[in-house]
Amino acid sequence: MKFLAPVRIALFALAALGLASTAARAHPHVWVTLNSELVFGSDGTVAAVRHAWTFDEMFSAFATQGLDKDNDGKLSREELKELAEVNVTSLEEFNYFSAAKNAGKDVAFDKPKDYWLEADKDNVLTLHFTLPLKAKAEKGEFTIDVYDPTFFVDLSFADGTVVKLDGAPAGCAAEVKKPQSQGTAQTNLSESFFNSLSASSQFGSQFANRITLRCK
Amino acid sequence: MGLRQPRRIALTLALIGLGVASLGALAFAQGSPFGVGPTSAPAPSGIGAWILAEQARFFRALSAAIREAKADGSAAYGLFWLSFLYGIFHAAGPGHGKAVISAYLLADGSTIPRGILLSALAALVQALTAIALVGIAAVLLGATARAMGEAVRILEIGAFGIIIVFGVLLAWRKGGAFLQALAVWRSGSVAHDQTHDHGHRHAHDHGHGHEQHVHDEHCGHSHGPEPAELAGRGWLKRGLIAAGAVGLRPCSGAILVLVFTLSQGIFLIGVASTFAMAAGTAITVAAIAVLAVGAKEVAVWLAAGRGGLGTVAFRGIELVGAFVVIALGVLLLSGLMASERMFPV
Repeated sequence: MKFLAPVRIALFALAALGLASTAARAHPHVWVTLNSELVFGSDGTVAAVRHAWTFDEMFSAFATQGLDKDNDGKLSREELKELAEVNVTSLEEFNYFSAAKNAGKDVAFDKPKDYWLEADKDNVLTLHFTLPLKAKAEKGEFTIDVYDPTFFVDLSFADGTVVKLDGAPAGCAAEVKKPQSQGTAQTNLSESFFNSLSASSQFGSQFANRITLRCK
Repeated sequence: MGLRQPRRIALTLALIGLGVASLGALAFAQGSPFGVGPTSAPAPSGIGAWILAEQARFFRALSAAIREAKADGSAAYGLFWLSFLYGIFHAAGPGHGKAVISAYLLADGSTIPRGILLSALAALVQALTAIALVGIAAVLLGATARAMGEAVRILEIGAFGIIIVFGVLLAWRKGGAFLQALAVWRSGSVAHDQTHDHGHRHAHDHGHGHEQHVHDEHCGHSHGPEPAELAGRGWLKRGLIAAGAVGLRPCSGAILVLVFTLSQGIFLIGVASTFAMAAGTAITVAAIAVLAVGAKEVAVWLAAGRGGLGTVAFRGIELVGAFVVIALGVLLLSGLMASERMFPV
């Protein structure tokens, strides 16, 4: 009896703790509209992915708060320079939300280059950056899934988006596949849909936007 | 009584140790993407997914409603309504507030009205923090998002630190009361027939660890714990600390709305919308708090017929609540429970 009670309490406390931590989940606070391009090297293989991600207006307003140094109501590339730097630096930890596969193997990216932020007339931000492949791509299928596995950022291609190919050899074509449920994700995430996900499946990847490149 | 300080310390430390060890096993903490809201959201399922989707939908709609309110002032009512609904759904999903409040209510003299009051206070403080932050940093100082992110981080560390310290103090009080109740019950059940209970146990904490009045010799009437008697004094002060600490960390959604309305030149509408959100949040947190208090009352009621055991159960629940407060504080401070975060933009 002497030790039972404390042990029991400890077990209860741990159970409660477990519950509390699984209860922590969030909805995205940031929405990104994707635009991507595949850049080919002189040897005809994919050398880099060129992303242009447009943020939603609320996040854009937040991120640019206080950055209009000359108070002209417009945000120049110069005024946004530091922010772009922070963005791409922070994205590294998340592997740029880009998971690529080539001939069945995972592809690693180098640090981004040619990055900048651009604001449109409503000061909505677009982040441009290019992700070079670390190693030379092989022949065979090349795919990139763009998604946030933790679902904090909602990334999606706009309807009818075409992935451009820069310097691709003849016979190459890229296909964009939006996640099945993406169009309805905001309004119609039915329980059965979620229940059908296996426990081990990676939730975010269900929402992946997949680019598939095939070359003849 | 056989209750010595060392034993109480040992029990406290053992439980804290267990909690911390379990954290170690849990964990990987991530930073933030664009310097943006990051981290470990487990795969939602069922109703959780539905709440998540609703939150996202409402939050998304806020942006358009703000634009409409800018173009046409009367559309602001639509924005307030939407903010209110968002508050309700948002609090049902992530957010540390309801967890800490519920745990605190388990730990300390809780009644349903108190639970509702504290939930409302926490939501109000949270709205005021967001308004003060954006009002001072962005409106007055023209600070950048990065500076605001840092301010939020400081508030967060302060808030979570207070929660941990507060939880430890609470655990200390409740641990003493629990061990005392346990000793009383044990001595009672050893010396006498169990059904013949030793009623009048002043096992409540008076804030002095040394004064442990245990009046053991008032036999003859069984007497379960009365909430009023067991609630402990100074709950209001402690309740205010809990609500204040929870509210000290502003919600990302409110900050986004405030900054966005500021950029649209309708900051005051953003302020009103933040209060509408707080009203919604208060309703959900209060509902969860009522459930927590209700569950506790049922548990105590079930144990009440068993005399001293009822007090032991009551004190046990309180102690568990106090440890959950500590655990939540540690999880939050370590970033393991980041259900949302502001952007180190």
